[in-house]
Amino acid sequence: MVKRPDIRLIAIVAIALVAVFALPMLTSERYLLRVFTFVGVNVIIITGMALLFGYAGQVSLGHAAFYGIGAYASAFAVLTLGWPWVAGVALALVLTAVGGLLLALPSLRLKGHYLAMATLGFGEIMKVVFVEARPVTGGPDGLSGIPYPTLGPLEFDTAGTAYWLVWGVAAVALLLAYNVVRSRAGRAMRALHGSELGATACGIDITGVKVRVFVISAALAGLAGALYAHVVGFVSPSTFSLHVSVLLVAMAVLGGTGSLAGPVIATVILTLIPYSDAVIPGLSRTALETIQEWQEDIYGLTIIAVMLFVPGGIGSLIRRIFPERGDAG
Amino acid sequence: MNSKSSAALDISGLSAGYDRVDVLRGIDLTIAPGEMVTLIGANGAGKSTLLKAVVGLVPPAAGTVSLFGKDITRMSPERSVREGLALVPEGRMLFGPMTVEENLRLGAHTRDAEEFAAERDRAFELFPVLSERRTQSAATLSGGEQQMLAVARALMARPRMLLLDEPSLGLAPRIIAEIFAALETLRTGGLTILLVEQDARLALRHADRGYVMRTGSIALHGAAEELLANDDIRLIYLGAWRGEGE
Repeated sequence: MVKRPDIRLIAIVAIALVAVFALPMLTSERYLLRVFTFVGVNVIIITGMALLFGYAGQVSLGHAAFYGIGAYASAFAVLTLGWPWVAGVALALVLTAVGGLLLALPSLRLKGHYLAMATLGFGEIMKVVFVEARPVTGGPDGLSGIPYPTLGPLEFDTAGTAYWLVWGVAAVALLLAYNVVRSRAGRAMRALHGSELGATACGIDITGVKVRVFVISAALAGLAGALYAHVVGFVSPSTFSLHVSVLLVAMAVLGGTGSLAGPVIATVILTLIPYSDAVIPGLSRTALETIQEWQEDIYGLTIIAVMLFVPGGIGSLIRRIFPERGDAG
Repeated sequence: MNSKSSAALDISGLSAGYDRVDVLRGIDLTIAPGEMVTLIGANGAGKSTLLKAVVGLVPPAAGTVSLFGKDITRMSPERSVREGLALVPEGRMLFGPMTVEENLRLGAHTRDAEEFAAERDRAFELFPVLSERRTQSAATLSGGEQQMLAVARALMARPRMLLLDEPSLGLAPRIIAEIFAALETLRTGGLTILLVEQDARLALRHADRGYVMRTGSIALHGAAEELLANDDIRLIYLGAWRGEGE
């Protein structure tokens, strides 16, 4: 629907964009930039999860596996095969998209929670593969010495440039997702969240829509993996465990359905919790250790609190502030 | 009555069911273009299942369904919408959080975007109240308005054949009259309609012909006036409404 864009909203998005991209110019502290680069990687994954969960209403418990496939594929392509980074990214995208398609096709034809179960199984299988496929993945030790991302002569070898690269990709992913949710396809996605029978009666191929959204979200996780591996320079199986998949679902739930901004905000908050010292100056070492020790509990309590006080997630909070926007965002 | 090729909808020997339990047993039903036909029968007779089997939501075990001469027996629901078959499902199945306008846009999912405005205005002409509610979310509409929206949404696909499942369910008589007046208008405009109703008297008063379903098969069919006058029908299906209305 053509709505006049809200001035306040445009202002907030513009300020957020400027703030995000100005960060490396305001600080040269490597740790802070690293932490926020990691936030950006998670934002890329959550963009896909927001489409999958928040718009199409599907739960995946295996997105960490796609994240891992993307990371290992790109790392292997660059480290072992000597491909340029862009080719590694392409390989990551192809593998995760095809993997997503093969997983989604059979499980989404059936009604019910088959996708959640299939992705759960897939995640566990991939965990074993990451550990056992030593020639490709380096086994339990993982792969180290992964070169920085390069684009032709450009090398993203400083904390600041890596940050810009990741957030640039995140911004493009979010922009594309924003266009998708405002398009006919996005409307169809929201429709099947509302009533699958109603959507079918409108001539929407509900299985097709779900499969496509799943493939997009898998490929975005793969893309995030390909960035992560090269920005951090090291990958190991623990980064792509079930725990991470569940955390991603938590971010999507916390962010709320039918929203992109909500899940992004949730991702920023949940990602920063274990790195609180980066954003809270003067946080004592013991305080940080306590936070890290209680990380899981803080996640759990945050989710319970949100579900109690803001059942629609952060997205519904945003809608309360900008009621005229209604749908996308 | 009609040769198969000229029928708008031709159902022949259709059987279907859920998990090996047969719900439909050898249904034969024909609708000529421009006709309004009603399917009446008690709860559990299989009326809704028949509609579902026609649109492809329930796979038929045997028999054929053809729409304007084209075989649609095992066609997916989204394909049959493109072939010109639209269903107004029981319970409306609207998209609650979305606006009236967005619900209509979804109804036009299979159509070109340019055609939308004209189709929407036509629906608003039929149900003016929807025009007033266009930016409201569907969940905030009254039951009658929701039913109107469900019909309007189905019309957005520009169907040649409209199937309605219990459009009068739970609505006030005045609203029901409004919806049936709209159906009459649509029929006059050339739309072929198959109406499933529990309120047999209401349905037969508006329809050209009627089919009576009993435990999965067609027990009786004929012109609407004949069925209205039929003593058995009056006794079994119209009795409950005697003394009401009229």
